[in-house]
Amino acid sequence: MKLLEIDNLHVTVDGKEILKGITLVIPAGEVHAIMGPNGSGKSTLSYALAGREGYEVTGGRVIYRGEELTGLSPDRRAALGVFLALQYPVEIPGVTTITFLKTALNAQRRARGEPEMDAMQVLKRVREKARALQISEDMLKRPLNAGFSGGEKKRMEILQMALLEPKLAILDETDSGLDIDALKLVASGVNAQRATDRAMLVITHYQRLLDYIVPDRVHVLAQGRIVTSGGPDLARELEQRGYGAVVEAA
Amino acid sequence: MTVMARRLSASGDVFQEDFARHLPEFPGAALDWLNARRRAAMDAFAVTGIPGRRSEAWKWTDLANVLDLGAFAPVVLQPSAPRDSIFPKQTNELTFSGGFLTQASVQSGIDVVDLAKLDAAVPGWVRDNLGTLAQGPDQPMGAASLALMRSGAAIRVRKDTSLQLVFSHAPSVRAHVSHSRILLIVESGVSLHLLENHRGTNAHGSLRNLGFELHLKPGSRLEHVRVQKDAADAMHLTSLGAVVQRDASYRALYTALGGQLARLDVNLRLDGAKAEAVIHHVAALAEGIADITSVIDHASPHTCSRQVFRNVVGGKGRAVNQGRVVVRHGAIKSDSHQLFKSLLLSPHAEADAKPELEIFADDVLCGHGTAIGALEADALFYLRSRGIPEPEAKLLLIRGFVAEAIGEFGDDAIRDALWRELETALAAVGAGQ
Repeated sequence: MKLLEIDNLHVTVDGKEILKGITLVIPAGEVHAIMGPNGSGKSTLSYALAGREGYEVTGGRVIYRGEELTGLSPDRRAALGVFLALQYPVEIPGVTTITFLKTALNAQRRARGEPEMDAMQVLKRVREKARALQISEDMLKRPLNAGFSGGEKKRMEILQMALLEPKLAILDETDSGLDIDALKLVASGVNAQRATDRAMLVITHYQRLLDYIVPDRVHVLAQGRIVTSGGPDLARELEQRGYGAVVEAA
Repeated sequence: MTVMARRLSASGDVFQEDFARHLPEFPGAALDWLNARRRAAMDAFAVTGIPGRRSEAWKWTDLANVLDLGAFAPVVLQPSAPRDSIFPKQTNELTFSGGFLTQASVQSGIDVVDLAKLDAAVPGWVRDNLGTLAQGPDQPMGAASLALMRSGAAIRVRKDTSLQLVFSHAPSVRAHVSHSRILLIVESGVSLHLLENHRGTNAHGSLRNLGFELHLKPGSRLEHVRVQKDAADAMHLTSLGAVVQRDASYRALYTALGGQLARLDVNLRLDGAKAEAVIHHVAALAEGIADITSVIDHASPHTCSRQVFRNVVGGKGRAVNQGRVVVRHGAIKSDSHQLFKSLLLSPHAEADAKPELEIFADDVLCGHGTAIGALEADALFYLRSRGIPEPEAKLLLIRGFVAEAIGEFGDDAIRDALWRELETALAAVGAGQ
C-alpha cells in the first residue's frame, strides 16, 4: 500500500522555487532516506509535507493514505498522523514538557473523535516511552526544550513521535549535532518504532545516521529534484565519492 | 450623562481646592502632626499638579490629559460593596469599600487602625510612620492621596502570618475620586504573606488613588501578591513607597488586568545590607493603559533587586514599563537586574519600555534588557505540527510567556486562583486581537 505519494511537487518559498518537481512513493512499512547537499531543498520538502506557512505548493500533489494533504493546516495533518521531527526543535519557555505533551496528545485525540486522556494517564504513557530514551522526570517538568542540550532536544522529538504514534514520520537531520552515543540512542528509539503500518522519511546530510537506521531506499536530492535513487549502498557510495560526482553521473 | 461642568487644568486645582476647603473635616483634623504632613504633601503635589506629558516619569501616561476632574463627585462613604476577591477567604482579612475600611477580622499579632477615624488616641507607631513614604514630589499622586486622605488603614504585623486586603467598589452612577492610604509595618524578623485585591465594575471614570506605605523592619520577609482588576472604565493609581531594611526581603507579584488606566508607581529603598527586592509584574490588556513605573534605590552595600515584567497586549492596549535603578555612592556589591518583555498580539497594541541605571558606586553588578515582539512563528508552527490547533497553540505560548513571571509565588490555592483569573484575562486579550 502506498502510504505517501508525492507527484511532481513544486514548492516556492518567498517567491523562489525551491522544489522543482519531486516524485516519490513510500509504501507503508518502509523507511526512505533523502540525502543531498546543503541547499538542495531537503528541509523545504519536510516543511512542505508538514504544512508550514510560507511553503507554497505551486504544482503537483501530495497524497497521504489516499487523501490530498496540500491545503491542510499543520495541526490537521498531525491529527491525520503526519509527524515532523525538527532539525532545530524550538525552545518554548514557560510551558512544561509534560503540559505540552498532554496538550498535543489530547488535541490529536479530540480531532480524531477519541476521548481525551487525563493527566495521570498521560504521565503513565509518557513515562513508559521516556525510559527507553533516557529522558528523566526532571526533563519532563522543565519547560519544553528550554536549556536542553542538542541530544536532549533530539531525544525529546523521538519521545513525541513515540507518544503520538504517527503513520508518517519525517525526521529532518535528526543526526545533526549529535555525538555517536546520542546518535545510537536516537536511532534505536527510531528503529523501535518501525512498523508495517508506518512509513518514515529520514532526511540527512551524512551517511552515518543510515548505518544505524538502515533505509529501504535512498534518494538523492539536488537543486530541488530527486536525481537518483537506489538501495542502502547508494548512501555509502555518496560518502565515498561525494555529492558532486554522484549528482553529475546521474 | 450630565454635561461636564468644567474641565480642569493640569495643575490639579480641584485637589487644591478640596484641600483648602475641607482640611478641617478630614479624619485626624485635630492632629497637628498629621495636618503638617498633609500640608507638606499638598506642596509636593503642587510641584507638578496632576502629572502628564511634561513630566519625564509620566510621559507615556498622560494623566493630566485623561483625568476629567471637573466631573468628579466629592468623596463619600459608599454603600458597602460586596466582598469581591479571586482568592479564598483568609483568616486575617481587611475589607474596603470605596477605600473605606468596612470590615476587619484579624487575629492577635496584627494591629489595625482605621484611617477614616483618626483621633487623639492614635497609637505611636501610626504617628511615627504615617505619611513618611509615598508622599514626595517624585510620587505626586501619592502625595495627593496623603494630603486628601479620607480613608484607608494602618496595619502593623508582629508575628508570622498571612493577610488579605480586599478593595471593592460599589458600582457608581457617576465618577468618584477616592484618596486612600495603607500603612503596613512588618516588624523585625516577621514573615508576612500579603494578598491585595482590587476589583470593581461600572466606575464611570472614577479614580482610585491609593498611597501605600510599606516598612520592612530588619530581617522581615514580605511576599506580596496583588491583583488589580478594576472596571474597564475605572482609573487606578497606586503609589507604593517602601523601605526594606537590612536582611529583609520583599518579594512581589503584581498583576494588572483591568482598567481604563492603571498605574503602579513603586518607589523602593533597599536600606541596609542584604536587603532584597524581587518584583514581578504581569499585565494583560486589550484596551487602556497598564503602567508600572519603579524606582529601586540601592542605598546600602550588598543589596539585591530583581525585576521581571511581562505584558500581553492586544487590541488597542498599551503597556508602559519604566524602571530606574539607582546605586548610591558606597553601595558596593549591589546586584540588580531588570527584564521587561512585551508580547503584542495586534497591530494596534503598543508597549513602551525604559529601563534606566544610575550607578554611583564601584564594584556592582547591574543589568537590564527589554524585548517587544509578536508571537514567534517558529514556536507557533512547532506546536501546530504536533496537532495543537492555532488558537490553542497561541494561548499556550502566551501562557508560557506569563508563567515565567508567575514563578513560585503563593501556595497552590493562590496560584490556582491566580491562573484562573489570568486564563480569563489572556483569553479575552487573545480573542480581541
